[in-house]
Amino acid sequence: MTKNKNVIEVEGRVVECLRSAMFTVELENGHRVLAHVSGKIRKNYIRIMLEDRVLVELPPYDLTRGRIVFRYRN
Amino acid sequence: MDTFASCPDGNALLITRVADGQWHALDDDLVVGRGHAQYRPDGRLFVSIDAWHDTTFDRLAEAMSADLPAPLHTVVDEADAELTAGWRRAGFTVRRREWEYAVPTDPRITGLGEVRPPSGVTIVPAGQADEDLLRAVDRAIRDEVGATVGWQSMPAEVIPLPEGDTIADPSKYAVAAAPDRYLGLIRVVPAKRPRIGLIAVRAGERRRGIARALLAHALGTLHRDGCASAWAEVQESDQAASALFEGVGARPVSSNLELVR
Repeated sequence: MTKNKNVIEVEGRVVECLRSAMFTVELENGHRVLAHVSGKIRKNYIRIMLEDRVLVELPPYDLTRGRIVFRYRN
Repeated sequence: MDTFASCPDGNALLITRVADGQWHALDDDLVVGRGHAQYRPDGRLFVSIDAWHDTTFDRLAEAMSADLPAPLHTVVDEADAELTAGWRRAGFTVRRREWEYAVPTDPRITGLGEVRPPSGVTIVPAGQADEDLLRAVDRAIRDEVGATVGWQSMPAEVIPLPEGDTIADPSKYAVAAAPDRYLGLIRVVPAKRPRIGLIAVRAGERRRGIARALLAHALGTLHRDGCASAWAEVQESDQAASALFEGVGARPVSSNLELVR
């Protein structure tokens, strides 16, 4: 069975914490995306804060949106 | 078991359990959604779903609910209306709400600068508590609230610990001490934005100002270390805890919902 991900994964930095559980993440290439936290992160009570370095999944059909799937420890 | 449904782009959506506690939604052999299930040490089963489309979310939720034993739990940020709506469509209802408070540390804001513990009680700073007495007070308070390995009715992380142990890192606890035993404890997790993970006082010692003295000590220490604010999670129904934090100028900034089906 194929397990190809239909997403792009990019590292970035949280530059803004918004209401409605969203974050602005600046990617390594300078682009900014509006990202929410993955269910797996939330389920594990991992907090995302300003300046956190994170891994973001982007759907290929909309590169302005993202999902934070990993928070690096520093 | 694999199940099929139509996808937003017209292709067939295949939901398949790829491993124990892990589901994928496949569209044309691409993973377009994922579901996870995980038992916490307290025995509760928590699930999560990540999908870009409602249809995918709904199909994953349906498949996971069919495969897993009830009750199922999940956690959402209440401000995330889309995700919350998805779980509601799947039949989940709110079990409890916990507020996330931003807690100032400056004594000019908290009003805790002059707060001292009641007579006969001293505050033992973090890292200096006697480990046996610390474990004893933690065990006693957990017994009082009916907690086992986790605090099911309290907003705390449930992390794996050795059998019978409830304290992962004794150095994070400051305690309120009487000459013969500890009366209360506070756990502060140092981080970029420190977290007050636990504050509790033995049942017979409450309403003496011990919790307030513990909080004054912890916040004062953070302030001297240069931290302007900390955060804490408080269950909505815990009016004493809400009053304690709001009394020092803490304000709720967000809320998490625990949903159950």
